[in-house]
Order: sequence, then C-alpha cells, then structure tokens
Amino acid sequence: MNGKGSITLEAGVEQAWDVLLNPEVLAKCIMGCNKLELVEEGKYKADLSVGIAAVKGSYSSTIELADLEKPKRYKLIVKGEGGPGHVEATGVVDLSAVDANTTTLNYEYEAEVGGKVAMIGQRMLGGVAKLIINDFFKKFSKEVKQAVGS
Amino acid sequence: MSSLGKPMNRVEDARLLTGKGTYIDDLPVFPNTKQVMIMRSTLPHARIKSIDVSEALKMAGVEGILTGQDLRQDLRQDLDYLPVGVTAPVEYYPIAIEKVRYVGEPIAVIVAKNRYIAEDAIEKIKVEYDPLPAVVDVEQAAEPDAPILHEQVGSNVANHRYFHYGNADQAFAEADHIIKHKFKFPKYSATPVETYGVLASYDHASEVHTVHANFHGPFILHSLMAKALKVPSSHLRLITPKDNGGSYGIKAGLVPYIVLMAAVSKKLGLPVKWIEDRQEHLMSSSSGTDRVTYIEAAVKKDGKVTGFRMKFIDNVGAYIRAPEPACLYRNHGNTTGAYDVPNLELETMAVMSNKCPTGLIRGYGGQQTYFPLERMMHIIAQELQLDPVDVIRKNLIATEKFPFRTATGGVYDSGDYFKAFNLVVETGKYQELRQRQEEARKEGRYLGIGFACIVEPSGSNMGYVTIALTPEERAKSLPKSGCPEAATVSIDPMGNVTVRISTTPSGQGHETVTAQIVSDVLGIPAERIRVIAELDTNTSAWSIASGSYSSRFAALGSSAVYHAAGKVKAKLIKIASSLLHTPEDELELQEGRVFVKGQLEKQVPLRRLTGLAHWNPADLPAGMEAGIYETAYFSLPQAIQPDENDLINSSATYGFVADLVLVEVMPDTGEVRIEDYFTVHDAGTLLNPKIVDGQIYGGLAHGIGGALYEELMYDHRGQFLTGSFMDYLCPTAPEIPRVTLKHIETPSPLTPLGAKGLGEGNTMSAPAAVANAVSDALEGFGVRIDTLPLSPNYIWKLLR
Repeated sequence: MNGKGSITLEAGVEQAWDVLLNPEVLAKCIMGCNKLELVEEGKYKADLSVGIAAVKGSYSSTIELADLEKPKRYKLIVKGEGGPGHVEATGVVDLSAVDANTTTLNYEYEAEVGGKVAMIGQRMLGGVAKLIINDFFKKFSKEVKQAVGS
Repeated sequence: MSSLGKPMNRVEDARLLTGKGTYIDDLPVFPNTKQVMIMRSTLPHARIKSIDVSEALKMAGVEGILTGQDLRQDLRQDLDYLPVGVTAPVEYYPIAIEKVRYVGEPIAVIVAKNRYIAEDAIEKIKVEYDPLPAVVDVEQAAEPDAPILHEQVGSNVANHRYFHYGNADQAFAEADHIIKHKFKFPKYSATPVETYGVLASYDHASEVHTVHANFHGPFILHSLMAKALKVPSSHLRLITPKDNGGSYGIKAGLVPYIVLMAAVSKKLGLPVKWIEDRQEHLMSSSSGTDRVTYIEAAVKKDGKVTGFRMKFIDNVGAYIRAPEPACLYRNHGNTTGAYDVPNLELETMAVMSNKCPTGLIRGYGGQQTYFPLERMMHIIAQELQLDPVDVIRKNLIATEKFPFRTATGGVYDSGDYFKAFNLVVETGKYQELRQRQEEARKEGRYLGIGFACIVEPSGSNMGYVTIALTPEERAKSLPKSGCPEAATVSIDPMGNVTVRISTTPSGQGHETVTAQIVSDVLGIPAERIRVIAELDTNTSAWSIASGSYSSRFAALGSSAVYHAAGKVKAKLIKIASSLLHTPEDELELQEGRVFVKGQLEKQVPLRRLTGLAHWNPADLPAGMEAGIYETAYFSLPQAIQPDENDLINSSATYGFVADLVLVEVMPDTGEVRIEDYFTVHDAGTLLNPKIVDGQIYGGLAHGIGGALYEELMYDHRGQFLTGSFMDYLCPTAPEIPRVTLKHIETPSPLTPLGAKGLGEGNTMSAPAAVANAVSDALEGFGVRIDTLPLSPNYIWKLLR
C-alpha cells in the first residue's frame, strides 16, 4: 500500500522543519499516540492505539528519523507490533520554500501490514491510512501556525 | 415394504432443527478442563529468535504457556513430527519449532481458566523474529533460486513424477491439431458452520490419551497421530461427537491439532479444550490445493481427442502433510474423465510455499483436474468451429465399453454417459438456449452456454496414495490396497436393534440410510433401529479407510451395514430352522417373523429367536454362540495396489455428472449471473433420493462458490488477506440459481446394493461448466477463461 500528497504550511522552511522534528509535536499529531519517548538520537519508542475495521488494539512501535537533510528532507520509519498484527511504514517528507513565510510539504509513504490487520482489515486499510495521514498533517499545520504565532 | 430407494425423511433432522444436536462444543468436558488459545505467526517466513512468555504467565488465570521448544525439548520422547506422505525429509510438527513458514502457524499454546484470559495473554507474549523472504506462487516456489522452506529438503519440490500411458508421441505426431493452454485453479476452502474443536485429557495411570474431536477420518491418520505422540495406537483413544456441523473434507485437517492438544494436556497435566474461531479456520485450518495445469491435446479434425499431455503443479502450502500429495492422485484412475483417450503423458509436482498447508475439501483433486480438462473440450470446439455437444459426443466413453478400463488404470464399473448427456441436452433444451443467446446478442446482451461432463470417483482405494512413489520406491515397502469399512449390528436381550457405524457422518444422513438398510434386511421398522454414529477407536469396529470422505458411505459404508445385517439374518434363520425343524432355504424373514415359505402358519417371531440367543442359549443349535452381535468389514477386491506400470484403480466406484449451464455476463459491471443450471447424475442405485438431492444441491452450491466467489488470497509477500466472511465470499441462498436435477441409475455391479457415492458431484463440475459458459458468452471479446473465481473485478479487467 502506498500513497502521496502535499500540503502548504504557513511558515518558513526552517521553522517548519523545527516543528516537524519536535517530539512533543509529533506525539500530539499522531493519532492514538499515548506515549512517545526518545530512546536514542533520532529514534523514539511509542505506544499507539489504532482501530482498523474490526481490528482494534495497541502497537508498541519505534519511530525512526533517517537520512536527515536539514531543512529539506527526511525519512520516517515506523515499525509497530501488537496484538492486531504488525505495521511497517516508511514515509519521505520533502520541504521546499515557496517564500519566506510559506513552505510546501510533499510526502510519500509505503506501508506493509501483517497478521490480523492484513487478514480482516485489508479492505479498509487504504482508507484508514489516508485518514491517519490527513489527520496528522491537519494537526501539524495547526501546530506550525501556533509556533509561528508565538 | 422395502424402504430403500424411497425418499425417507432424515431421522437426524428433528434433533438438528430443534437445537438438540450434540456437537463438539456441547460435549461434557473432563473435570477441571482449561481453555486453550493458540498464538499464531503473523509472518509468512521467519526464524524465531525468541518467544518471551514471562509477562503473560504472570496473568491471573493463566495455567501454562507452551511453545514449540517446550514441547519438543522437554517432552522430546512424546512429540515426534508427523509422518508425511512423501520421501522428502519434511519435518512437520503441530507447532513451529525454529521457523515459521506460513501466516497462522501455531507458535504458542496458552492454557487458561477461560478463553478471555487466554486471548488477552497473547498480547503479552513477545516474539522476536528474523524475517526471511517468502514465496507463494507455486511456479516461483519450484524454481531453484526460490526461498527454501525446509533446508533439509534442499528444494520446495516435495514430490515429482512422470507417467506414460499408451503412446502419446504417436498420438501427437498423427494429430490434425495440437491445442494447448495453461490453467490456474485457485486456493479455496470448505467453510463448515462448525469449526474445529478438540477436548484432550491424559490419564497418567493408564498412559492413555482420550481425545474428543470433530475429526472424520480417514482413520489411517490415527496411526500417524499415535506415532507423533509416540504412544501405542491403542493408547490414543479418539472419539467423534454424535453430530458434526459440516466438514466437506476440511476436518481431516484436525490431525495436527489433535496431536498438539494431546501433547499439551499431558505436559501440563490438565484436560484442555480448544474451539477454533472463524479467523483461525480461514487462515490456518487447511484448504483446497491451488494448481497450475499445462495441458495439450492431440485432436483429429472431427474433434476426437487421441492423446493428452498434462502437467499438474500443486501448491501444498508450507508443509506437505498427509494425505497430500493425494490431491494430485485421488483422481489418477480418472485423469481423462468421461472420455475415451488411451494416450496420456502426465507430469505431477507437489510444491511447498508460504501458504497454509492443504488437504481434503469436497471434490479433492476433482475440480482441479476437471477445470482444465472440461475447458479444453470447449476450447477444442471453439478452435475447430464445432458445437461443444458434438465434441463431447465424439469423445465420451461408449455405453457398450463398460466396465471401462482407463489409460491410467481406473475401472469404471458401470455407466451410460451418452444417455445421461443426452438427457441434460434435452432437459436444458439446448437448441432453444442457442436461439435465446443469438436473440440476446442482438439486444447487446451476452448469454453463454457451458457444459461439463465428469466422472465422480467414490470410495478411495487406499493404494492410490502410494502412486506418489515410483514403482521402485513402492517395492521397498509393503503394498497398500483396499477401502475397508466396518459396521456392527446387534440385538439386545429385549429384541431391540442397535447399529454401530464408523462412517463419522457430518450431516449426510448416514443414520437414516443405515436404519433403512437394516430395516430392509431384518424386516424390522426403521424407527425401531437405533444407529450409533459416534466412532470410538477403542470400542468401534473400524479400519484405515473408515470415516467420511471421498463419498464413501453409499459405496462402502452402506455395504458394510448390509453385510453385518446379513450376518444377523443368517443367524436368526439358523435358529428358526432348528425351532421349526425346517431347512434354512425353505425359510423367509419378513415383518418381524420367520416363516416357512408357503406355510404362513408355521412361523416364529423374531423376538423369540433373539430372546433364545440371550435368555436360553442352551436351546440354540449345537455349536452356535450366544448373543446377537455381528460385525462385518467390507472392502472391494477391485481396489488393488498400483502395478509396476503405475496403473491404479484409484476408487471403488465411478458415477457420472453432466451439467448444462446458462449464464449472462454484464460487460459494464463484470457480473456473472447464472440464469439456469441443469444437471444429470448417475450414482447407480439411489438408496434415499431425498438425501441424494440434498447432497447434490450442497455440492453444487460449493461448486458455484469455487466458480464465482471463493478464494483464499495472499499478497506477494505471503500475508493472508481473506480472514473473514467479508473478505472470503461464500455463496448464500440468494446466490444459488434455479437448478433442474435429474437422475439415471446404472447400478454398480460391485456393491451389494448397486449404489455409488455422490456427495461431491457438482463441486467438481460447476467451476468448469460456469467457466465454459462465461467463455462462451465472451467469445466475441477474445476472452478465454483460464482461472477462477470469476469475480466482477476479474471479468471487468478481462474486458478492458
């Protein structure tokens, strides 16, 4: 399963980058994120609870930021495992400045799921992924706006 | 007053319809029984690095958790791997030991006070895997560079054989046309309402495993289970419940779970109960076998087929487990179906891949064989611009050739294929259908007509499984043959009749037909005959072939019942002969008494005869044993072992099915609608036509499922995608079309009642018949159907 999209952020590229890499912001923006703690440079441990179709449950996950090219580009690797199965997703986030106060964010993702999520959630998966991602960026633009305002 | 051949109501139905059946989950449990939940692999192929159960074990109510390593190392002498049906050194344990090889493979067994706790405990178990590349496509799995599932085997090919019958080279050299095609038959399943269930208890004093399971044989697998548990087979007491909520073959796949629960119960010293859930059932119980077929026909210009070359590649999933690779061979004697084709070259392969292991489902191997064969008859007609009816008639086995010996060694005991085929053509008003098709086309509608003519094998000859071995390999072990079944008829001191059968029915009405047979033989009303269908390996009469599979009741089970009743009758006549001072051949048994022929007043009631055997044996004829308790074993002398030329009569009897189906295909949506279905069956003498029709409708529904809806799907990485009835579609009542069913009866000369098996029929023919009809409808689009199911998505894509 894969997808891509883009949003416009009302902030300069440097500022958008800083917000994007702030773990507190990440924790707030990721749907169902109960806990996010730094385990090593660029690597977080998270507890996520997500429901996909009839498959509800929690995943203990690692979120890793890799291939950082400040302030332009990085890769986000999410690996989750739990009762409902496992998820492995990779996202690439690309920032480009439109002007001093506007940035375009392009993203692409690829995800693989296994176990119960795959066997009974497959029909819903594409929709759920879109929902989670759209929700993330909606919350994220809000956070960026707030950061600019403060 | 014979009740055989009459459409008697089923004695089972009253209890089943009022919720009074006794299924596995209704059985009383052993004292202190704990519930079991199985944790299963979420990866298709991986090395298990570690399984940490410590957190889960701390949960209140959890009694124990066992992994493959616990069962293998701590109890090594008690759990060996299950023997497999081929020479490839595959180690198959009922729980993963070092590697997982399919999504759904058991990795831990949680035993808890109740199922809620057991299920929650799974979330606390941490498994670390080292993922390995997976392969699910059967042809890719057979490649030398494919990921290997079983390192000690060295390749994924578990069985590979070549067969030559007649002279295919000559047939192809002399052919006017050579027509070939590749077909893919999908992995689909049988989906009984009741899933698997096992109750297991171990008695340390007697060292006996007592297991209740809704298993239905073949009981040859009992010896494998005892071997895996390393106990004498007499110490594995396997009991089946009175009622089994459907199987259609798939419950033969209970074998690993019976072994696993027996081992767990022994290790923990606790009786355990495991009831499988629907997701487990779809993901990891068992399934039909997906097959790729390459087929080539040598054809004369009039449509006569003189030879075939075929290659079957069966995907047996992650472990080849007995009775696989039998999907390749159950139909070996009828590989060329209803056609008179003396020359055949056949290559067979069974290949392992990262999918759930396969086994019996209704039709076992039949639908896989007939889909390409029947599609070819249709393609030949298309290519030669002949009517498919003419091509079929050109090739059907002539009536005067019965009993007919096929190229591969099958002996078709009786039949009149022309009569049955003509009847379906006539019943369906074939010419009118063609006119309707033509008129519809003018309106821009796409109707299609399809046929299938298939031979329905019943009552497997247990010798057929050894055709997987070469004649040289076979010569190294003792030969196997036969199809034995047993039944016991007894009469108690009060004159009441009890019959014990070992045919483990799962809804086929064996109790009804058994009572009909005994009633006919002994002249006692069927209502007064009690039939016990529970099989208990410690107390029932049974043998390796016992059970309910391969439509064996009508051919073999009923014959065992008939003979056991015959033995009782012979004894009663002997007693009467001494009481009436009349020779036995002058006596007749009818309506509860024995009388002298032509002298009705000289008679003695049955009660008196049976009473004598129990209450006053001193007055029995000299040398006669007391009591009335007779067991008969029935096998067929024709079910012999394969010979050195690989000729095998793989089944006891062979019936015939001819189908004619009319479909409409909607090019805008890809939807296929079955407008009309005509089917003619010849299953020899019918014992109970009402049960026969029920069996046939059920088989047809399953066949339509295979044709249009059902597939167990995996993604390219080996993840399983169809774990619920929203993802795995089964036909329900509204999807079943109008069906016109007719019978002809050519009695089998081999069975005492002339009956043949008939429980699978249209499961094998409908996928081919529907595919032929859809191809016929879409001929103008250049579409040639070569895979199933014909879902709207699939058809829509074909048309674009």
